[in-house]
Amino acid sequence: MNPLPEWLSAGHDETRFRAMLSPDSPYTLEQLAGESKAITLRRFGRTMSLYAPLYLSNHCSSGCAYCGFASDRKTPRRRLEQEEIRKELGAMKRLGISDVLLLTGERTKAADFDYLRTSVATAAADMQRVTVEAFPMSVSEYRDLAEAGCTGITIYQETYDPLRYAELHRWGPKKDFRERLETPSRALEGGIKTVGLGVLLGLADPQEDALMLYRHLRYLGKTYWRAGLSVSFPRIRPQTGSYEPPFPVSDHLLARMIFAFRIALPDVELVLSTRESPAFRDGMAGIGVTRMSIASRTTVGGYHDAESSDRGQFDVFDDRTAEAFCSALRKKNIEPVFKNWEHAYNGPSHPEAEK
Amino acid sequence: MDSLHIGSYTFSSRLILGTGKFSSPGVMLEAVKASGTQLVTVALRRFNREQPGDDLFTPLTSIPGITLMPNTSGASTAAEAVQAARIARELSGSPFIKVEIHPNPQHLMPDPIETYEASKILAKEGFLVMPYIPADPVLAKRLEEAGCVSVMPLGSAIGSGQGLATAEMLKIIIRESTIPVIVDAGLRSPSEAALAMEMGCDAVLVNSAVAVAGNPPVMAEAFAEAVAAGRKAFAAGIMEKSGIAVATSPLTSFLGTEA
Amino acid sequence: MSQMITIQVNGESFTLPAGSSVSNLLASIGSEQESVATVVNDQIVRPDNRASFRLKKGDRVEILIFAGGG
Repeated sequence: MNPLPEWLSAGHDETRFRAMLSPDSPYTLEQLAGESKAITLRRFGRTMSLYAPLYLSNHCSSGCAYCGFASDRKTPRRRLEQEEIRKELGAMKRLGISDVLLLTGERTKAADFDYLRTSVATAAADMQRVTVEAFPMSVSEYRDLAEAGCTGITIYQETYDPLRYAELHRWGPKKDFRERLETPSRALEGGIKTVGLGVLLGLADPQEDALMLYRHLRYLGKTYWRAGLSVSFPRIRPQTGSYEPPFPVSDHLLARMIFAFRIALPDVELVLSTRESPAFRDGMAGIGVTRMSIASRTTVGGYHDAESSDRGQFDVFDDRTAEAFCSALRKKNIEPVFKNWEHAYNGPSHPEAEK
Repeated sequence: MDSLHIGSYTFSSRLILGTGKFSSPGVMLEAVKASGTQLVTVALRRFNREQPGDDLFTPLTSIPGITLMPNTSGASTAAEAVQAARIARELSGSPFIKVEIHPNPQHLMPDPIETYEASKILAKEGFLVMPYIPADPVLAKRLEEAGCVSVMPLGSAIGSGQGLATAEMLKIIIRESTIPVIVDAGLRSPSEAALAMEMGCDAVLVNSAVAVAGNPPVMAEAFAEAVAAGRKAFAAGIMEKSGIAVATSPLTSFLGTEA
Repeated sequence: MSQMITIQVNGESFTLPAGSSVSNLLASIGSEQESVATVVNDQIVRPDNRASFRLKKGDRVEILIFAGGG
């Protein structure tokens, strides 16, 4: 196995971050919450950026042990055609959404790069902001995607532990740990403006993974200094019939992690999805998290047509309507922000500098 | 050994000295020796047969361990700085060049645009470019991108003795930089140099504070000790100032008690 | 009698015999060859070329040293 890159294996200025997360931390949760709140308020104000996911396709070529869409699962496979995408986007727009995250599984013939690129262009015509969570691509593919109107990509390393990673990703292109690790760098080289990172909490030692994630963000921030960075905190909740996470992360630990990231990286967007409960999302709003998904469907499509009975990629916990969620935010004196972007800026980040 | 690496050079001292404003070349050379510095910056001046002692080339290069870093002070445009750099490299044989362009002779603030233009050209010509700049984090990254081997943001205006007036900007530059950050200009006393090192600077450049001190060689020694102490402290992990207050009404009660 | 030419050295007028080289000039102003840089009409003249570089009437010559300065 290749040795890990220096920026991942060696730590620099991470004493405070480690102290905040350590089991013997000198900081109480309440102390961290207070500091996190103060920083969030200064840096982001009283706002919450909102987006919604649209699953374009659940075709997949990989065999992740923990995913409902793994290629050996019996889930019926389908993909949205462009006309269907437009219908879904229309339905999402009526809910007030103007920032969409397009998702696919790992690269397949059915949902390949050209399909993704076309879908991005379709979405960019209707939405103020289009981001993608799909499969690792090359620098030139990212450039094409950026030109089509994609301003951000999300790619979770799942776990930064190469041994655990190998155990969990049993076949398919996702087996390549190094390729996945270098994906955010390639995306930024290709002109994608923002990258979203994360680990799937529950798969491996959360303390270690959080530290590696921190190192990854510090490295990207220094190397691609024009980049926008965000961190998500997807967490596997133990559920009967589904994958049992060997390292379940409690609410307290997840909260502590979010506070630690906010304090150590004051300018990075912190994201929570509808995997989390209404109580947790409401509680974290205004004290650390600055971006959340709403009214999510995790089956293919699902906004326009009635939700299918198929299982989605994960079970939505917070299934409040957009209206109900925004009302909850406003009760906390937080303004929901649907549009935080101008369509005109949807081109690739700075043209290739003369090297 | 916690050495300073710039380009392919390694320095054990993190104190860099300037050579201006001393009462005599002799005093300046004593200060250089007392400080243990290994990198000294010099300016280009016209030869004057009436003042042969002005010529520092031989005296400085005969001090063991010294590398010369010529600077382009006097230039007010990128073109002048580039020409000065080329002349300086011929003379010194050193690849180091401090790009120093201050068109206003009162406040001596560096011109960011001319500095960027000159640095870009000189980096392509193989110089080890060390640009003297305002403490601007974006300018610092642009210069890093352009191929400079370090950035030298000012603490405050040359000779002003205002110390680390730009501290908050310096912290951002230090956090974001992948090349050495060297605070240059405005340091008045050794404690300020120590503070700069504690903040995470890789080195400091001092001139006026040593040159106009009552006893420059002793002051140079004091600066050297301060720089070493500050660096040692930084490497040892300095205790955090507590900024973490406790909210009046609990923010985390929604989480319930710990499982 | 050899002809004299007038050149500019460090901004001042200077006369010397026609056909003088840069090395000759340095000798006549009493400078050490190794510690100066010589520039003629904005062109750097390197030490190994100084003996063969002939000066002409009206040439602008800069002779530079390293001196104290920030």
